Amino acid sequence: MTKIILNGREIEADPTKPLIAACEGNGAAVPHYCYHAGLTPVGSCRICQVEVKEGERPGRVVVACRTPVSEGMVVNTESPAAHETRRECLEFLLKDHPLDCPICDKAGECTLQDVTYNEGQSEGLTKEPRDNFEKRKSLGDKIVLDQERCILCSRCVRFFDEITGKSQLAIVGLGSRSRIETFADRPLVGNYQGNITDICPVGALTLKSFRFKARVWNMTKKSSTCGECSRGCSVSVEVLRKGEVKRIRPRFNEDINKWWMCDTGRFALDGANPTNRVPALVRGYSGLEAADSDDAVAMARAAHAAVDKHVLIASPWVTVEEGEGLKALASSLNTEALFLSPAANDLKDDLLHTGDPCPNRRGLEELGFVGKSAEEAMELLAQAESATLFGERIAELIGLDNLKSLPSTVRTFVFDGSSGAGLLEAPALQAVVGIANWVERPGTWVNIDGERGKISAARTAPSGIRQPSSVIADLLHTSEVAR
Amino acid sequence: MITPASETYLLTRAEQPGSHTIEVFKRLGGYAAIEKVLKQGISRSDVTTEVKNSGLRGRGGAGFPTGLKWTFMPDPEKDPRTRYMAVNADESEPGTCKDRVLMREDPHGLIEGCLLAAYAMQLSAVYIYVRGEYRVPYDRLQAAIDEARAANLVGENILGTDFSCEIHMHKGAGAYICGEETGLMESLEGKRGHPRPKPPFPAGFGLWGQPTTVNNVESIFNVPFIINKGAQWFRGMGTEASPGNFLCGISGHVNRPGIYEVPLGISAETILNEYAGGVWKGRKLKGWFPGGSSTGILPAEMISTAMDHDSIKGVGSMFGTGAMIILDETACTVRASRVLAHFYDHESCGQCSQCREGTQWLYQIFARIEAGKGEVGDLEALERISKQMAPGKTICALADAAAIPTLAVLRHFHDELEAHIREGCCPLRSKGEGGQSQSAQEVHA
Repeated sequence: MTKIILNGREIEADPTKPLIAACEGNGAAVPHYCYHAGLTPVGSCRICQVEVKEGERPGRVVVACRTPVSEGMVVNTESPAAHETRRECLEFLLKDHPLDCPICDKAGECTLQDVTYNEGQSEGLTKEPRDNFEKRKSLGDKIVLDQERCILCSRCVRFFDEITGKSQLAIVGLGSRSRIETFADRPLVGNYQGNITDICPVGALTLKSFRFKARVWNMTKKSSTCGECSRGCSVSVEVLRKGEVKRIRPRFNEDINKWWMCDTGRFALDGANPTNRVPALVRGYSGLEAADSDDAVAMARAAHAAVDKHVLIASPWVTVEEGEGLKALASSLNTEALFLSPAANDLKDDLLHTGDPCPNRRGLEELGFVGKSAEEAMELLAQAESATLFGERIAELIGLDNLKSLPSTVRTFVFDGSSGAGLLEAPALQAVVGIANWVERPGTWVNIDGERGKISAARTAPSGIRQPSSVIADLLHTSEVAR
Repeated sequence: MITPASETYLLTRAEQPGSHTIEVFKRLGGYAAIEKVLKQGISRSDVTTEVKNSGLRGRGGAGFPTGLKWTFMPDPEKDPRTRYMAVNADESEPGTCKDRVLMREDPHGLIEGCLLAAYAMQLSAVYIYVRGEYRVPYDRLQAAIDEARAANLVGENILGTDFSCEIHMHKGAGAYICGEETGLMESLEGKRGHPRPKPPFPAGFGLWGQPTTVNNVESIFNVPFIINKGAQWFRGMGTEASPGNFLCGISGHVNRPGIYEVPLGISAETILNEYAGGVWKGRKLKGWFPGGSSTGILPAEMISTAMDHDSIKGVGSMFGTGAMIILDETACTVRASRVLAHFYDHESCGQCSQCREGTQWLYQIFARIEAGKGEVGDLEALERISKQMAPGKTICALADAAAIPTLAVLRHFHDELEAHIREGCCPLRSKGEGGQSQSAQEVHA
């Protein structure tokens, strides 16, 4: 480690990283656009100006992203000269910027906006007409590019070059005519496109699915973990006014996903926002009828007490904590704890996606759960007298047609996070209980490498929808009493 | 037309018919230096020392001592990486066309210089990056390399010794920025010519990450003469700090524009009046650029300044490539500035914010003033923008090249610019002519 003096305080800096990283990590963050800790520094935006003194030489203002740290270096990030140079640079960046913040999706989380406010430069000095470029250029089915807002930091270009290894974007044209384009105007491809909208420091790259959907200051963010594969990328779930999840974005995690996530996880909004949810359905005189979920749980209790041959299958989305409860329930029912383990999908790649759609496979296996494919599960179910299917997406993972084919002798109880509407015709079904899904409950998943990832309640579950932990507690309690 | 200086060497061969062929070149004493070095077993370090002692300064614009630059290359004993030289023949500075003459008329002279540099620095290959528009020089140089190869002067085991060197040619595609040394290297590697941030410097991390030195054509061209005749002979010409002769390309409003070989330190007035035949049409001198468009304009009073690096620096400009551009009294400095500002706006690579936006901004303001729509505060804006762009605020010096001439024109021609804004047209013209300056158009044609 190298010792430097940062704003009058001696700190230890990593000599393999540029000065800006030392500033950032020690409470003296410097504004930056082209620099990104996950990409090669290029030093082109010139905003990260700091004043540096080395030895006897007079102080000079340099760009922190291209300056290596050296022993005894004295750095001042707040000197008048550094601020002045930043202000000058800002004036150039804003010269052709359209300043359409009122209609820009990035407003509120735009670093160009933030730095402009911080540096106190409220008036532009240019009288010249601003450049006219393409305002809404489609880059395929996920991303829109606004070339006028772009400040040419080239982060998106370097993301494809360096992270995915497949170059797709380039800066074309020289000087003030420079702009971002795809090679030969082809649409972007791949499962990692969304990341370029996260790293874009301005509103140039936006997600088609998020454009004009929400103002970022109206959203609450909650740390969570992605459930679309067994990688368990750290994410931030963003909810608009306690209602719908509008955006899922990667959250920095050095050990798992760094700054990135795949589009499969990013766009898994349908799973987070299920429609037509009901607290419970129970079998009455005219088929399945809406009911109170306590009654439905009571029916399950009664069934557990009434028959002997039980099968319990958990969803791979069940958390470690819920898994412990279900394990106890299985042993009280004298049956093996199983979880549904679907076949690997074809989304596996070298970067993040594992191709295994079970976010908590490792957690459940460590608890002693045994994975079963949908076919194996059906064979076991066909011979059972009672079936307890627990966890979000369980009905979908076993297959609705499969469930419909079960004979009515198998008393089936489904505890699922989505609606039970698709199951109405299943003769074996005794009750469906709605439970909170992964954005509505806390818990832990264990990823493919044994890293524990936290999920948390980004919003409260709709009225009447119960937390799975409380449902399990009810089931457990009565199972013991029934004995 | 070429007029001889007191002692000339750079252009003497070029004046002979058939000078671009190996036959004529050898007859005029060509390839004697490399033969002397290889046959007499002069050590590699002695070659470098001779060049260093000669005081030869780079002719590409910055005037950095060539021999000193060579010593920056790491010691091959300690650093076994492949080593390269790139010869910068992407001559695109407005007003400059000296290297074109050398490559077209005396290509073997450059090849011999390359061989000496390769020997001194233990290079495995030399790349000559030629401006794409230079078709004849490119063809002549390629033909010369082929001839030299046939004569066992390029390739493996040159002249039967264990010294080997390859010389490759590369054509530029018309970008000014590829004449910047790191932009040139990126372009040679097949990438966009975006200059690299320094450090690392080319001597440590150059072409494909290997130690590389980048030299101008005229600098390398001087080397065989220095080896043949010695550093002391070389120091006999020019000044103490800037020895030797240089090729002065003079253009603009003169009677005899052209390339003249003159010693460094000669007064600009002598070049203008005795070599170039004075300002044309009996007009008076208004201003002059000492070394290409990126060096700040100087007023007529300063024409007696000596043409060497330190003297020109002393009057607030730069020696640059030594390519003088002369403006007569009818030239409009606003128009000339607008034309130049447009060039830099067009040629900025677009990486750095200051340069990308600043060059465009300068152009827009000059264009507005020229069109009679100048406003109070425009001159202050020009000065402020220029000072925010340079010096040393960007990755390469293109921003400086745009900003410094702007500051110079503000310093020396402030009154004319002000009059332009106040009157809403060029003060040298009546309103009816719309500020169009015939001669300024010719300058930039």
